[in-house]
Amino acid sequence: MSSSTVSVSAATPTQHVFYRKINEIKPSKADINFVIMDYLISEGYPRAAEKFAKEANMQLPVEEESIQSRVEIRKAIYAGDIDTAVNKINDLNPQILDTDPALHFALLRLQLIELIRTCTSTATSDITPALNFASSQLAPRAATNPDFLKDLELTMSLLIFLPSDNLQTQLAELLKPSLRRDIASRVNEAILCSVGARGEARIRSLVRLRLWAEAKARDSGKDLPPFIPLGLQDADNSVNEANGNSEAADIMVQ
Amino acid sequence: MFRRSSYASVAAGNSGQSAAPTRSGAFSHLAGSSPNSGPQVHYLSTSYSQRNSRSVDVDGHNMMSTSWGRTGPLPLYSSQFGYMNGYVGGNPDGPLPSFFVPSYLRGSKHAENLEEVHKARVAAHREREYRSTHSPNTGSLSTSSSSVNLHKGASSHRGMTHDIVERTPVFIDEPVAPWPTKWSDTDRYAQLEVEEGGRLAKFAGAQKPHDEAASVRADYPMPPQCGIYYYEVTVVSKGKDGMIGVGFSGPKVILSRIPGWEPESYAYHGDDGQCFSNTTSGKPYGPKFGTLDVIGCGINFRTGTAFFTKNGHYIGTAFKDLKPNQLYYPTVGMKRPGETLRANFGQEPFAFDIDKMVQAEKASIQDEIARARYPYKDEIDETDLIQELVRQYLTRDGYVDTARAFKEEVVEEAMALATDGTAALPYVEVEEDLDAINRQKIRAAIVDGDIDKALKHTSAYYPSVLRDNENIYFKLRCRKFIEMIRRCNELHAQCHPVPTPPSKRSTTSNFNNRNSTATDEYDFEMELDEQLGVHNNAASWGDRADINADDDDDIEDKEAKLGQLTTETIEYGMELKSEFSNDPRREVKRALEDTFALIAYENVRESSLAPLLDTAGRMPVAEELNSAILVSLGKSSSAALERLVQQTEALVNELAEDGGSGAFVNVRRDFLQ
Repeated sequence: MSSSTVSVSAATPTQHVFYRKINEIKPSKADINFVIMDYLISEGYPRAAEKFAKEANMQLPVEEESIQSRVEIRKAIYAGDIDTAVNKINDLNPQILDTDPALHFALLRLQLIELIRTCTSTATSDITPALNFASSQLAPRAATNPDFLKDLELTMSLLIFLPSDNLQTQLAELLKPSLRRDIASRVNEAILCSVGARGEARIRSLVRLRLWAEAKARDSGKDLPPFIPLGLQDADNSVNEANGNSEAADIMVQ
Repeated sequence: MFRRSSYASVAAGNSGQSAAPTRSGAFSHLAGSSPNSGPQVHYLSTSYSQRNSRSVDVDGHNMMSTSWGRTGPLPLYSSQFGYMNGYVGGNPDGPLPSFFVPSYLRGSKHAENLEEVHKARVAAHREREYRSTHSPNTGSLSTSSSSVNLHKGASSHRGMTHDIVERTPVFIDEPVAPWPTKWSDTDRYAQLEVEEGGRLAKFAGAQKPHDEAASVRADYPMPPQCGIYYYEVTVVSKGKDGMIGVGFSGPKVILSRIPGWEPESYAYHGDDGQCFSNTTSGKPYGPKFGTLDVIGCGINFRTGTAFFTKNGHYIGTAFKDLKPNQLYYPTVGMKRPGETLRANFGQEPFAFDIDKMVQAEKASIQDEIARARYPYKDEIDETDLIQELVRQYLTRDGYVDTARAFKEEVVEEAMALATDGTAALPYVEVEEDLDAINRQKIRAAIVDGDIDKALKHTSAYYPSVLRDNENIYFKLRCRKFIEMIRRCNELHAQCHPVPTPPSKRSTTSNFNNRNSTATDEYDFEMELDEQLGVHNNAASWGDRADINADDDDDIEDKEAKLGQLTTETIEYGMELKSEFSNDPRREVKRALEDTFALIAYENVRESSLAPLLDTAGRMPVAEELNSAILVSLGKSSSAALERLVQQTEALVNELAEDGGSGAFVNVRRDFLQ
């Protein structure tokens, strides 16, 4: 049935015409569920994926035996245990790091950062392990690539400044958990690509497409409401949305 | 069993075993009906609308309309159509332009939109045919089962198909711009003859004076929504000195001049290899061209440029700064007797690898999209945003177990990342209220095919919802009927094992193992029944256990059960019909017709209506009901993730309208599948 729409439009005379266009688009639930499943699998949420397959009446993608390993590798990287992570990656497929020197270097550098973190945690500790690791593992690689060298130099300067409460941003970035997360996500994508899957979860591309499309549309002077909220923060702001005067705090607003 | 078939034959009139072709089979019919075409050439005999008269001509051999799976997606559609070659001349039934998708536009959003429109036309036509040959009484029970015969003698219905779009699942508010399909029969200079169904343009008549020529435009302008539009012409004969211009022009440019000479016209000329825009003085551009050369002409609407190709080779950019809002029609002009051009608007493969050019354009835009990042990285983290989108969708739509598992895993992840044990947990509270669990139960019931249970729960927990959303109530009732027929079919299959290899579609695998849940809730069900005074059907349709019952069950037993089920199904069907037959709404009538057509088949799974029976049909109903319940609770009907998709598509549509980068993005195909 093509049928009538369920969605209730809280149409008011002031509603921007673009909201009408938005409401005319009926995304299929099957597509959305597919995107969710794709996300759960590729970003490594196996238990949720299993439940979702049941609840949404979907097939669990079978090809994914790497999911458990990927979850473990992520865990290791998050915990700063890069040795374990690298071993597990190589168990899975040694080609992954061999063919992606930048990723391998990023992992080694993360390991160096962890060493430096330990070495400098007390004023009296010994920085020799960090120096040794840097000269044996990273220096030879850095010699082949100016970007690697720059990254290595920056990382090594941590040794000079730590411990400190007042690092410059560039250095502080290196100590943030988000670096681990970024690298873990790169590793995850590399593993997925190695088994022939699409590296990035579709929902990520979708979020970027949304971002790109809005920026592009505003650049080319399309008639758009000042804010196009997603309604994530407040489950009941759909009325606001329809009126186009929702809070600027909404997450998609640039 | 016999009861059912006799009922069917009464209901369907002439149908019996008319075995409408399966969907793929339909296309081979089309191929078979074209006498002078090779095996790779297919006819699609449904016509395409003209610029001036929106009409549909379909002659007797249009079998296509018999075989739509009317509900459900048509995933194969585009690939089937992609290779559909169009009109090649000599069709014994007269000129019938066809629907085709140029190779480089396959998979594009615009092509999908046009296909939707085309599908709607075919469906509307079918409906006309059907209406005109059936009396209303028999009508509601048979529809397509017998429509094979309907097309005979129904010759043509001109100008009757204005109201077609409303049946498509996609809402097409604004008309979708068609692409050129042939040279116009009317928009041409008199001395230029158009033959072969509009593919051939030929200069006939006396030689023109020095500054005059004869031009013809295509039937439609090049749609900017394509992003890049491209067509080719083959010079069949260059006449005496090849005074031929290939290009494009606005709709008002006079046709007594060769394109390129007049304002708003642009062309590449064969006699001197120059390109002309808006004026009679050309500029050096490419080689001359003559007989048997293939000249291609393309516009990139995103960059506002035009280019030409010769015999498959790109020549270069010919024009820049084309106006974005101007309509440009493919246009050719000639001056000398005998000059003849044959156009390819995408009905055939192109000499130039235009697909590659379009792919490259798409790829560069995909790259641009992949690089899009939030400007303030500290405030909005993409990963957090995505987690939140997923979390909200799962809770909102009542995927309670999934939401719980997801939360646990996300928390675990955050703990692992916490360097100093003070992790900011992404989210702790999950609104796991009773309401979510109720909605989950209702969804689970529908997904299991137990419509009675879903109806019962809904009226118990959300009494206003079914009352206020009669269309959903109707869909649920129809779905129940479909489920009954499903079961009849299954029992029938067990009683009469088919010797042929089992069909690819596995039926049993679709059943979930929800029996445990069913028993858990048993007491509750009883209670609810008493509370509501719901009368349970004699054969509880929700109880799935007996379907997969032991094989050594007595066949006779099953026969008996089947007989009973069949009777009940028909009774329920009559009840359903009497409840809704007076409903004036068109979509209700349509759904009733479709649903009832199911019983006309001995074996529905082999029929074109098989998609109706698919368990995949349960999910949309479940989702629709869930949305309605949410609305009744004062919540917005869609989750943020859905809104994100809606907004994205709407934004991309905006960007595609004038041929901008959005034209190269197909949100659904490129990002959701």
